[in-house]
Amino acid sequence: MSSKTVRQLALPGCLLLLQGPTCGALAAQAAVVAQERTEYERWLGSANVSPYAAIAQARIGTGIRLGPADSDVPLEGVPLQRVFEEGGRVVLESAAGERSLPKERPVGLSGFTLLASGPAGRATLSVFGKPALKRSPTYFPYDSSVVFSVSLERADQSGSGFVLEVDGTEVEAPVAGSISFNFAGRLTRLVVRRIQGGDEESDLEIYFRDATNGKGTYPAGRFVTLLPSPSGRYLLDFNRARNPFCAYNSVYACPAPWRGNTVAAPVLAGERYSGGGLDAPAVADTGVKTR
Amino acid sequence: MKKTTLPVLTRRYRWLALGGGLLAWSPTASPFDPAGTWRAVLDLAGGSLRFSVDISGRAGAWSAKLCNGDRCEPISRVRVFGDSLSLEIADYDATIDALIKGDSLAGAYRNVGNRGPRVIPFRAARGSWNKAAGPPKLVGRWDATFFQAWRSSPRVFEIRNGPAGLEGTIISNSGDYGHFWGSASADSFALGHFDGSFVYLLTGRLDGDTLRGVFHAGLRSETPWVAVRSTGKPHLKAPTEVTRADTTEPFRFAFPDLQGHLVSNTDARFRGKVVLVDVFGSWCPTCHDAAPALVRLWQKYHSQGLEIVGLAFEVTGDTAVDGRQVRRFRDKFGIQFPLLLAGINDTETAAEALPQLQGFTAYPTAIFLGRDGRVRRIHAGFYGPATGPEQARMEGEMEKEVKKLLREQ
Repeated sequence: MSSKTVRQLALPGCLLLLQGPTCGALAAQAAVVAQERTEYERWLGSANVSPYAAIAQARIGTGIRLGPADSDVPLEGVPLQRVFEEGGRVVLESAAGERSLPKERPVGLSGFTLLASGPAGRATLSVFGKPALKRSPTYFPYDSSVVFSVSLERADQSGSGFVLEVDGTEVEAPVAGSISFNFAGRLTRLVVRRIQGGDEESDLEIYFRDATNGKGTYPAGRFVTLLPSPSGRYLLDFNRARNPFCAYNSVYACPAPWRGNTVAAPVLAGERYSGGGLDAPAVADTGVKTR
Repeated sequence: MKKTTLPVLTRRYRWLALGGGLLAWSPTASPFDPAGTWRAVLDLAGGSLRFSVDISGRAGAWSAKLCNGDRCEPISRVRVFGDSLSLEIADYDATIDALIKGDSLAGAYRNVGNRGPRVIPFRAARGSWNKAAGPPKLVGRWDATFFQAWRSSPRVFEIRNGPAGLEGTIISNSGDYGHFWGSASADSFALGHFDGSFVYLLTGRLDGDTLRGVFHAGLRSETPWVAVRSTGKPHLKAPTEVTRADTTEPFRFAFPDLQGHLVSNTDARFRGKVVLVDVFGSWCPTCHDAAPALVRLWQKYHSQGLEIVGLAFEVTGDTAVDGRQVRRFRDKFGIQFPLLLAGINDTETAAEALPQLQGFTAYPTAIFLGRDGRVRRIHAGFYGPATGPEQARMEGEMEKEVKKLLREQ
């Protein structure tokens, strides 16, 4: 690789995001990440669609039944309901009649919450009970050396493709491009996909693997979202790496790692993994040094 | 739409937010007087969205407005707890919580997302934003193209200098994005729109004859765009081309009103009348913009034989919750025509509830029925107050259509 393609800009101690380009901004950036973690923990403990509240996630396929003990998803106190796809929409049918389950819209059902998502013909239903913070997420200490300012090299052909979102549901996510940066002395290139939300909002997401996977971090990799900056470049901050929801709750499908998206060195930053179905050894036992 | 959480849980979330690390209760602090104008900012990852918060009243009875330039939306509830301030935007189930530090505020705008919290940093300081006019070379109508990752789509920008400085709007095939307000310096500009629900920031720079920039939505979503001066040739699809309908027989609808009584197109009150069916949602800011125009039409032409019926496609599908929101909407605009609870607001539900419509894409959609009950015209979307002349033209067209249909016997 020529040095021209190495577009990363090491950020020596000072970051510019919210408070302007002062050295105090580094502390501010660490504080922003800390605040995001507080918010995330709060959301995990209280949102009706928190992974800790999830009871079941199922491909709707030819139809699934909810309610009585012998149905696909038993829900106490709920009379028999059938969920199926018809002409691109998801229908909830019961003795009381039919209603649509709009995609990406949590809908209440006798104290439970239903969330339909995914493309027509391959939609997924997630079922949630009461939210409760079962375990706080754990993180590596904030590390300013894993924050990069990168430029997005747009893909020549932005062919669309389907991948699993952080919550294991299928989503159309065209390749937006790639980023290159120097991590632990090696040029690293990662593919970036644009994952569409609602209201014109979308995220530039990277699902990456690194040398800590299975050794203190989630075995199948982690998600990190690129943050735009006013300069037109993007902030890649591995302190913001987070686990897919199947790390919290085994009802979720686990996204398969994106081919080739591997950081060769250990990324000792962002969310850690402390078991839950697939118990990984604690970091201290692996010989991987933490800061 | 994303702001769609179960209100009960949202309320609970709010409590957690207030009890959390961000805001601390300090009963000994001297009472804080939030009254006055605040220069506020949402710090999006790619830029700052400026708006104002105007607070008036007295302790225990504060009221507030959220303003983009001189266009304001009411904030439903203002509370001061010791050294923190909480603003509730009930129309959209959202909150702004901030810590008070002298004459500044720092906190967050929140509502709940499906894959993590939707939180955007908020800060404010006492005082008003400067009113700064933009250079003439920015002002006017621009034909823009938005480049999403796998497709591009047309938009129109209307940029002008208004009483509060640089302002404008963005128009798509299905209506406008509301009133934008901001500022310009040399060749670049920033225009923002924050109404408690939508978080939009348009930033751009003049590059020769071309405007180039980024449209920011929410905390970190960005869409690049390019725009050239409008030649007058239509750049968008006409709103009447977007949605079509079966016109071979009367347009059918039958849904419960807010009292639970079924109202249908075959009811005596619609017989032989011109009927405007308004497909709307109380969650939809553009529908809030459109409502006063419908009320004006109804007041002017009801006695001559115009009936209006609103079909609300709401958020939860729970009659108690949705009914409450639609009643708020009715009372806000003093609506006297019937509003019916038609279902939940996804496109599929609306398409299923109104099978005679094809290509239903936009809230609001106005369906004009002739005296024989058949569809005569459909207007998808509405150009709200943000769009100035465009809105006047649209209201004029709607009125013309009503008058034309009323003349038919």
